[in-house]
Amino acid sequence: MNYVIHLLIMINIYLVLAYSLNLVLGFGGLLSLCHAAFYGIGAYAYTLLAMHFDLPFMVALPLAMVITGLLAFFLGIPGLKFRGDPFVLVTLGFQVIIFSVLYNWVSLTKGPYGIPGIPRPEIFGFKIDSLYDFLGLTGSILILSVLFFLALYRSPFGLALKALREDERAAESLGKPSQLYLLWAFTLGGAVAAVSGALYATYVTYIDPTSFTLNESIFLVAILLVGGSGNFWGPTLGTIFLVLLPEALRFLGLPDTIAPNVRQMIYGTILIILMYWRPQGILGEFKIR
Amino acid sequence: MKKGELKLKNVGKKFKGFWAVKGVTAKFLPQRITGLIGPNGAGKTTLFHLITGELVPDEGDIIYQGESLKENPPWRVARKGIGRMFQDVRVFQGLSVLENIVLALQTPEEEIPFYGLLKKKEKKEEALRWIEFVGLENEIKRKAEDLSYGQQKLLALARIMAGNFDLLLLDEPIAGVSPVITKKILKLLREMVDKYKKTLVIIEHNMNVIMDITDWVYFLNEGRIYFSGRPDHVLGAEEVRRLYLGLVK
Repeated sequence: MNYVIHLLIMINIYLVLAYSLNLVLGFGGLLSLCHAAFYGIGAYAYTLLAMHFDLPFMVALPLAMVITGLLAFFLGIPGLKFRGDPFVLVTLGFQVIIFSVLYNWVSLTKGPYGIPGIPRPEIFGFKIDSLYDFLGLTGSILILSVLFFLALYRSPFGLALKALREDERAAESLGKPSQLYLLWAFTLGGAVAAVSGALYATYVTYIDPTSFTLNESIFLVAILLVGGSGNFWGPTLGTIFLVLLPEALRFLGLPDTIAPNVRQMIYGTILIILMYWRPQGILGEFKIR
Repeated sequence: MKKGELKLKNVGKKFKGFWAVKGVTAKFLPQRITGLIGPNGAGKTTLFHLITGELVPDEGDIIYQGESLKENPPWRVARKGIGRMFQDVRVFQGLSVLENIVLALQTPEEEIPFYGLLKKKEKKEEALRWIEFVGLENEIKRKAEDLSYGQQKLLALARIMAGNFDLLLLDEPIAGVSPVITKKILKLLREMVDKYKKTLVIIEHNMNVIMDITDWVYFLNEGRIYFSGRPDHVLGAEEVRRLYLGLVK
C-alpha cells in the first residue's frame, strides 16, 4: 500500500509540474527545455531557505516561488525576443547553466554530494510526516494549482494567450502585446514549477543536481507530447502514463543493468509513433510546430 | 485632426536595395472609403504592413490623427485605433466564433492575469451584437475552422468592428467568396462608414467593387502612386487601363 501512496504522491508532484509547463507550452506555444531548471531552482531555494534561515514551509515555499519566478522573468526578457528553434536553444542553454551552477557551486549547493536532511514541513503546528500526510499535502496543492490554472485560462488573459498561440500576428493586430503575455506565462510557469521542486525536496528530504537535468526537462516535455497540451486532460493523462510506465516495466523482470535503457527506448518509440499518429498528443489541442 | 485621419508623407521601403514602396504621399479621408488598386507587386500590401507597424519605413513618415506611427509595434498601432483585416483572413481557427469576438473586445487592463474574470457576461452580450451584425448568430459556438471561407471573412469583419478601431485596413475583403456573401460584405462596408463612422482603406482587384463603394482611389504601380482621384476618374485614365486593366495597347 505504501508503494501505491508513494506513486500517488509522485503523480501529484509531477501533475503540478506538468500543468505549469502546460501554461508555457500548451497555452503559450513555447517549447521550453528548461522547466527542470525551474523545478530545481524551486527545490534548492526552498531547501536553503528552510535549512539556513529556518523558515517554515508556509514562508519558504512562497519565497522559493518568487525567486524562481524572478529568474524566469529575467530569462524571459531576452529569451522571448526569439520564437521557434532559437527560443528552444535559449532555454536549453539556461538548463545547462543552471545544472552547472547546482553541480559546481559546492559551498552553496554541496554540488554532487547533494543536500540531505531537508526538514519535513510543518503547517499551522501540524507536522507533515507520514506518507498519508504527504498525500494530503500534495493533493491539496494539486487542487489549488488546478483552480489557479482553470481561473487563469478562463480569464481574458487565458483567451488572449490561446489566440497568440494560434496566430501571433493576428493577435497583435488586435492590440495584444505578445511579448508581455508570454513573459507572464513564462514567469508564472516557472513560479509554479518551484512548488513542485519544494514538494519534492521536502518529501524525499534529499536533493542533488541529477534530479534536475536536461533529461528531466525532456521528460516533462514528453509528458505533454504524449498526453497532449493546451487543455487539462492532456497533461493529466501524460503524467499518469509516464510516471507509472517505469513502474509497470518493473514487472517485466528485466535485468537491472538494462532496464533503464529499455525504458528510454520505449519512451522514444512511443514518441515517434505519436508524432506520426497524433502530433498534438492523445488528448491535446496544441500541436508543436 | 479628425478621428481616423491618416497621412503618408513620402513613405518608402526597400528590400535588399529594391524599393518596394517609394515616395508615397497620400491622405485617407475620415469616414470615407479609399481604394488602393494596382497590379500584383505594386506595393499595396507592403503599404499596409508599413501603416500597421509590421514593417518600419526607410524614409518618410506615417501620421495618424496628428501623431507619427513610425517605430510603433503592431499591437501599439492597433491600440491607437488602426485595425486590419488580412487577405488570408487569419481568424483564430481553434477558437469559437464567440471567443474570436470577445478577444477583440478586451481592454489593455485585461492583459494582467485573472483581470476581468468575472465580467464575462457583459462581454458576451457585446460580442453577440457584432456577431449579429454580420449574421453569424447561429454559429457562435462553432470553431472558426469549421466555418466556410466566406463565413470566416464575415467573422473577420465582425472582429475588426468589435475592436473599436477608427481606421480599418481591409486587404481584399471579398476575394474568394460567393456572390451572395460578396453582396453582404459590401453592404456591411457601407454600413461601417455610414452608421458607425469608420474610415476604410480597401485593397481590391474587383473594379466593379471599387467603382461601387469607394470615394477615392489610389493607383499604385512599382511602389509609387501613379494616379489618385475619384474612382471613375482613375479607372478611366489611359495609363491605368494600360498598366493594370490591360484594356489599351
